[in-house]
Amino acid sequence: MKLAALILLGVAAGLALVFGFGTPLGAVVFQIDPPLLNTLQAGVQRRLSPDLWDQVILPLLQWPSWVVPGALGLLLLPFGFRRRA
Amino acid sequence: MNIRIRRAWELPDGAATPEAAYLGRRALLGTSAALVAAPGAAEAQWLFGRREAADPWARLPADLPDLPPAMRNPRYRPERDLSPEREAVTFNNFYEFGSHKEIWPQAIRMPVRPWTIRVDGMVEEAGEFDVDGLMRRVGLEERVYRLRCVEAWAMTIPWTGFQLSKLLEIVRPLGSAKYVRFETAQVQPHMTGLRQSWYPWPHIEGCTIEEAANELTFMPVGIYGRPLPPQNGGPFRVVFPWKYGFKSGKSITRITLTDQRPKSFWETLQGAEYGFWANVNPEVPHPRWSQATERLLGGNERVPTRIFNGYGEFVAGLYTGLQGERLWA
Repeated sequence: MKLAALILLGVAAGLALVFGFGTPLGAVVFQIDPPLLNTLQAGVQRRLSPDLWDQVILPLLQWPSWVVPGALGLLLLPFGFRRRA
Repeated sequence: MNIRIRRAWELPDGAATPEAAYLGRRALLGTSAALVAAPGAAEAQWLFGRREAADPWARLPADLPDLPPAMRNPRYRPERDLSPEREAVTFNNFYEFGSHKEIWPQAIRMPVRPWTIRVDGMVEEAGEFDVDGLMRRVGLEERVYRLRCVEAWAMTIPWTGFQLSKLLEIVRPLGSAKYVRFETAQVQPHMTGLRQSWYPWPHIEGCTIEEAANELTFMPVGIYGRPLPPQNGGPFRVVFPWKYGFKSGKSITRITLTDQRPKSFWETLQGAEYGFWANVNPEVPHPRWSQATERLLGGNERVPTRIFNGYGEFVAGLYTGLQGERLWA
């Protein structure tokens, strides 16, 4: 758990350094793989729900790229350092 | 002596249904439909509660009430039945509003008046045209065209509009102009897709000057005799009936003549699947599916797809000498 938390925090730091502190996650994904988000959006909106994309996934993609891995890393971190009984 | 033979479709004024009765009938039908649909609509809000609008033809108060009269041009015969009207205005691809087909409840909220089109670049008379003034200036006609989507479905649609070449006659392209670039409007906040700031907005499409001047290239302002609703690319779009539908840019606000080949929006996103030419060819499959047949919307009949969507006699000559190009994707 500690390792996963540290990897996520490292990824967050790396994304901020490489792509810029304010660059949205969507922009990073688009730079790495241009068709990916369009394909994902089509799958979600046509097969699940249009609003799942508009209300949930799109806001996540609009956040700076480091936020999601950084938040997950911070969430996992306390579990990694919990003392064994 | 002036002998006037009445044509079969002519009726005396007194035989026409009064407008109030006609509109009242529509209101009654709309109310009935809403009552019947209400429980189903509630169930449909199973996830996040989509807002459902009742009328895909709904227009904002500022929009013009009707189109000027337009006669159907008999030269362009679709050789199949028209698609059901409701299907054509409620099953749409318009990426600025989403990647699904039911974008119309959101799209009809987009204001479409006033609407101007800038025509610039390599022309003698660049200008800005109000869409209503333009349609009065060039005159309108109706054409029934087959529409073939790259996703292997098809419709048959009566468009009202004018040939793009009429607009080109007004602006007079320079001899150096080789391509035409079509730019779609960016209307915030209605076009929620624009929130995806990483995409190369505005949506661009393009064609060669020869394709633009071809008699088939049409600029619709109406569909089924009514003003073109935003979900269909209203108030002003282009249609190339021999190309896959994504080439026909919607809600156009600027047309630029240039000597540089435009890189289209879809070419930037997925160039391997959506190229510059995108002429219909049943023998060249999309990378992920066959293009040999197409499903006619409104039923589930599948019919063979025809090269150039059946318009080869009008356009095949445009592509002689271009065998090195990716003409079919």
